[in-house]
Amino acid sequence: MRGLLPFVVQRLVRALIALWLVSTVVFVVMRLSGDPVPLLLPPDAPTSEMERVRRDLGLDRPLPVQYAVFIANTLRLDFGRSLHFRQPAVTVVRGYIAATLELGLTAFFLAALVAVPIGLLSAMKRNSVLDHAAMGFALIGQAAPTFFLGILFILLLSLKADLFPTSGRGGWQHLALPALTLGAFTMASIARLTRSAVLEVLRADYIRTARAKGLGEMLVVAKHTLRNAAIPIVTITALQFGTLLGGAVVTETVFSWPGIGRLAVQSIYNRDYPVVQCTVFLAAVMFIVINFAVDLLYGVLDPRARAG
Amino acid sequence: MASSIPAPAPAELRLAATQESRPRGRRMAWLMRLGLGFVALLAVLAVVAPWVIPQDPERQSLRTRLRPPTLEGADGRAHLLGTDHLGRDILARVVYGSRVSLVVGLAAVLVGGFIGSTLGLAAGYRGGRADAVIMTVADAQLAFPFILLAIGIIAVLGPSFPTLVVVIGLSGWVSYARILRAQVLVLRSREFVEAIRALGGSTVRVVLRHVLPNVLASLVVVATLELARSIVLEATLSFLGLGIQPPTPSWGGMIQEGRDYLDSAWWISTCPGVVLMITSIVISRTGDWLRDVLDPTLRGE
Amino acid sequence: MQVTRRELLKGATALGVAGALPQALPGAAQAQTTQKKELVTAQGGDVSKFDPHFSTSSNDIRVSFNLFDNLTSRHPDGKLHPGLATEWKLDGQTTWRFKLRQGAKFHNGDPFTSADAKFSIERTYDPNAKTMVATALATIDRIETPDPYTLVINTKKPDPLLPARLGFYGGQIVPKKYLEAVGNDGFNAKPVGTGPVSFGSWVKDDKGVFDAYGGYWGGKPDFDRWIVRSIPETAPRIAALLKGEVDIITQLPPDQEDRIKANPSTRVEGALYAGLYCLGVNSKRPPLDNPLVKQALSLAIDRDLIVKELWKGRGIVPSQPIAKGDNHFDVKLPPLAYNPKEARERLKKAGYKNEEIFIETTVAYVSQDKPMSEAIAAMWKDVGVNVKVEVIEYSVRAQKNREKSFKGVWWSDPTSTLGDPDGMMWRLLGPGGPMDYWRNAKWDELGNAARFSVDEKFRAEAYRDMTKIFLEYLPWLPVIQPYEDYGLQKHVEWTPNPNQQFEIRRFNLKFRRA
Repeated sequence: MRGLLPFVVQRLVRALIALWLVSTVVFVVMRLSGDPVPLLLPPDAPTSEMERVRRDLGLDRPLPVQYAVFIANTLRLDFGRSLHFRQPAVTVVRGYIAATLELGLTAFFLAALVAVPIGLLSAMKRNSVLDHAAMGFALIGQAAPTFFLGILFILLLSLKADLFPTSGRGGWQHLALPALTLGAFTMASIARLTRSAVLEVLRADYIRTARAKGLGEMLVVAKHTLRNAAIPIVTITALQFGTLLGGAVVTETVFSWPGIGRLAVQSIYNRDYPVVQCTVFLAAVMFIVINFAVDLLYGVLDPRARAG
Repeated sequence: MASSIPAPAPAELRLAATQESRPRGRRMAWLMRLGLGFVALLAVLAVVAPWVIPQDPERQSLRTRLRPPTLEGADGRAHLLGTDHLGRDILARVVYGSRVSLVVGLAAVLVGGFIGSTLGLAAGYRGGRADAVIMTVADAQLAFPFILLAIGIIAVLGPSFPTLVVVIGLSGWVSYARILRAQVLVLRSREFVEAIRALGGSTVRVVLRHVLPNVLASLVVVATLELARSIVLEATLSFLGLGIQPPTPSWGGMIQEGRDYLDSAWWISTCPGVVLMITSIVISRTGDWLRDVLDPTLRGE
Repeated sequence: MQVTRRELLKGATALGVAGALPQALPGAAQAQTTQKKELVTAQGGDVSKFDPHFSTSSNDIRVSFNLFDNLTSRHPDGKLHPGLATEWKLDGQTTWRFKLRQGAKFHNGDPFTSADAKFSIERTYDPNAKTMVATALATIDRIETPDPYTLVINTKKPDPLLPARLGFYGGQIVPKKYLEAVGNDGFNAKPVGTGPVSFGSWVKDDKGVFDAYGGYWGGKPDFDRWIVRSIPETAPRIAALLKGEVDIITQLPPDQEDRIKANPSTRVEGALYAGLYCLGVNSKRPPLDNPLVKQALSLAIDRDLIVKELWKGRGIVPSQPIAKGDNHFDVKLPPLAYNPKEARERLKKAGYKNEEIFIETTVAYVSQDKPMSEAIAAMWKDVGVNVKVEVIEYSVRAQKNREKSFKGVWWSDPTSTLGDPDGMMWRLLGPGGPMDYWRNAKWDELGNAARFSVDEKFRAEAYRDMTKIFLEYLPWLPVIQPYEDYGLQKHVEWTPNPNQQFEIRRFNLKFRRA
C-alpha cells in the first residue's frame, strides 16, 4: 500500500479546494446580480423597512464581511432563507432532492443495465447489423443535445403515440421519458466503452487459448472478458453518474420534473440567492464526492494511477 | 451534453483511444460522407445566405402563421419547412441560425483553445505552485455541472454575443490545457529544453518549434470535438432563453418557441432540432475519426 | 375523434375484454356526466399570498375570493349582488348604511359581525398594515358599528361607487379575533374566512387543497374538495385537461383551443375581459416622454391583425382607456387606428433620433405577451423605430413594477374593478397610483372630481375629456380587450367572470351528474 496515504490526502485536499472554489464563484456571481430586497416587500414599503430587511439578510455589510459570513454559514449548511419560498433554503432544497435522485438513479441504472449487455453483444458480433445499429444509436446518444432528445421523445412517444404523459412527476409512466432522456448520453458512452473494452480483451492471447480448449464461446467471453473489462467499465460507469447532474438541469426543465436541477434554474431567474447557493453547493458536493470515491477506488485497484 | 474528454481517469483515456472504438465498414463511411456533405453545405449556406435564401428569416406574416411545409403558401411564397408562430419561414431561420451556431461555436473554440493552451503551457512550464493552482481549478471546473454556472453568469451579466462566447469558451479550456501541459512535461523531462534555455533560446521559440508541432494533431482533434460540444451548449443556452436573443434566429431558440406547438405545428421545433443533431453528430464523428487517423497515441498523460 | 390509446387499454383491462367499449365510443354520454366529488383546477402560476389584502395577482385572487366573502359580490353576470351585506343604501351625501348577514360564520366557528367588517376595511388602509390594496377603499372617512349587524360607512366626499369598491380587491372580510391572535404571518399560513371553501394544505409550486365549507351561507359547493394546481407551462396544462386530470384550466391562449374543442369531453368557455391588455409606458424615459412618439408607436400597431391572427378573433380592438362594458364607455369612439404612414410622419415631427425603445416582456404572464411583443416589435421596426425586445422573469417584472424601473414599455392587464373608469384608469394612472409615470394637471383635476361626483352626466363629460387627453398623451398603449378563455371538462357547468374572479360557489359551479 505504499503511496496510498499521500494519494488519498492529495485527492482529499483537491476535493476540498474544488468545493471552496465552486462556492466562491457562486457567491461572486450571485452578488453581482443586483439587490433582491425590493422583491421581498410590498410595493409601498418605506425605505426604513427595506433597510431593516437588508440588515437582517446581512446585505448591508461590506463584501468581504459578507463573504466570511457566507463561508462560515456554508460550513454549517446554513444558506439563509429562500426569498421566493419564505423558508430556509436547505429546507426548500431538501424537498426537491428526492425527485432528482429518483430521476438520476433510474436514468443511471437504466443506462448501465441496457448499455453493458449491448456493448458486450456488439463486441462479440463485430460489424454485424446489430453492431452498426447499436453504435449508430450510441453515436446519436452521445452527440445529440439532451434537451432536443427530450423534446423528440415528447413529440414521438407522448404526443403522437400517446404512450407516456408529457411532463410532471407521478407513476412510472412519468419517469420513463425523462429517465431515457437523461440516461441517453450515459447509455451511449457506456455502450461504446464496454464494446471497446471487451474487444480489447477479446484480442488477448489467453482468450484464444481458452477458445482452443473448446469451451463454449459465450462462457469464455462472459467469464474472462467481463472480469477484465470490469475495472474500466465500473469506473467509467461510476463517473458518468456525476455527468447526470449536469444533464438533470436541462432534462428537468424540459419535462417540468420537480427536482433540484429545475429548482436551480428557476431560482437563478428569480434571483433567489440562498436557494441557488444551496443547490449549487449540493451539486458540487455530490459530484466531488463521487469523483473522489472513484479516484480512491482506482488508486486502490491500480497502483499505476497513483502517480497522477 | 457531450464532453470531449470525460473525466480524469487514465484507463478511460486508454480505452477511448482504442482503435476499435467504432465498427468499420463501407456502410459507415458512406453515411459519414453524406453527413459531412450536409454540414459542409450548411456552412456554405451560412456564409452566402443573404444572397441565396429568398426569405427573410425575421419577416413576420401573421396571416400565414403555423403553416406546414408547402410550395405555395398563402402569401404566395414557398415555405419548404413551413412557418412558425409569427409566420416566419423556418428554412430561412434554420439557415440563418446555422450562422449563429457556427460563429459562436468557432469563436468559443478559439477563446477556449487560447485560454486553455496558455494555461496549460504555463502549468507545464512553471510547474510547482502555478501548476498546482491551475490543475486544481481545472479539477474544480470538471467537478461541477458547468451549465449551472453558465446560466448563473449569463443571467447576471445579461445575454450578449461576447458573454456567450466567453462563457462557452471557458467551459472547455481544460481539455486544451491538459494536452499542452502534458506535452511540455514530456519535453521538460528531456533536458534539451534546459539546454536550449541555457544556450539563450527564448521560451517562445521552444514553444513554437518543439511544443506546438507535437500537440497540433491533438489540438485539432480536441478542437473539433469541442466545436460540436460548443454548438450544443449554445443551443441549450438559447433554449433556456440565455443565448442569442430574439428576433435573431438560433436553433435552440427556435426549438423553445416550438414547444407550445409540438402537437400541432411540430416542424417548428423539429427542423432546427434535427439539423442541430446532425451537425453535432457529424462534427463529433469527424473528431473521432481525426483522433483515430491523426493520433492513435492520444493517451493523455 | 380523439380516443386515446391509454383510455382504450384502461377500458379493456377494466372489463377484461379487448375491443371497443362504451368508454371508447366518442361522444358517449359517460363523458358528459360524472360522480366525482373533487374539483381540480390548474392555473399558470402558483399562489403567492393567501391573505387577500396582500396580493391582487390573478393567480391569487382566484383563491382568495373563494376563501373569503366580500360585503357585496360581483357575479359573472356583471351585477352587484349581496354578499356578507344583504342590503345597502345611501343615506345622505356621504353615508352608506349596510345591513349585514346574520348567521354567517368563519371557518373556525367564530360568528361574522360588524366588528369584523370594520376591522377588515380599516386594515386595508392602515398605514401600519402596509397592504397591497391601500388605495382601494381610501375614500372612506370613518366606520361605525351601531350593532353587530349594521355597518355605517362615512366617506370623505360623495362616493356613489362605494358598494362596488367593497365588492372587489380589498373588500374581502377577514376575522378580527383570529387575525389579531395569530398575526399576519400566521394568518397567511393558515387563512380563515367565511367563504365557500376553507384552507386545507398547500405545497408551493405544486398544489393547494381546500375543503368545502358545509356551513356556508350560500350553500355548500357542489364538491367536497378543491385542488388548485400550478402548471406554469401551457402545453402540460392543456395536456392535463385533455387527459382528464383537471377539470378547469385558466390562461388558455386562443391558438391552442382547437385541440380542446376537438376533444369530445372538453370545451372552451370565455368572457370578455373587464379590462384591457396594454403596453404600460414609462413616460419618464425619453423618447417616451414625447407624446408624438407614443402616438406614432400606437399608430404603428396593426391591432386588427393581432386580434385576428394571434387571438383568432377572440378580442376587440380598444378605442379608449375604458373597457367595453364599463360605465361611460363611449360607443362613438372609433377603434384605435392603424396608420404606419402617419406613424412615420409623427416620428419625424417628434424629432425621433433612433433612440432604443425597449419592450420588456414576460412569458405567458399576460396571455400571448411574448408573441405580441415580437409582432409589435416587427411593426415598429417597419416604421423605423429602433426597438429591442427583452424577456424578463415574472419576479423581475414584479420588482420593476414596485420600483417603477421599467426601461420602456411592458405588458400590463389593468382590470376594471368597479365597472367604472374610476376603478381602472383613475385607480392605476392617478397620482400616487401603481402606474404613476405621467401627470397632467387637467386630467388629474377631472379624475378627482369625477370620483366624488354623484352626477352621472358630469362624470360622463369628465371621462370623455379625460379620454381625449389620454389619447393625446398615451400613458398606456392599449392593444386588445381580449376574451379570457378557459378550458373545461364538459361535465363542469361554470361561467367565467370577466374580472378574473374564479367563482366556484354553488350558484355558478356545478358538476353535471347522471
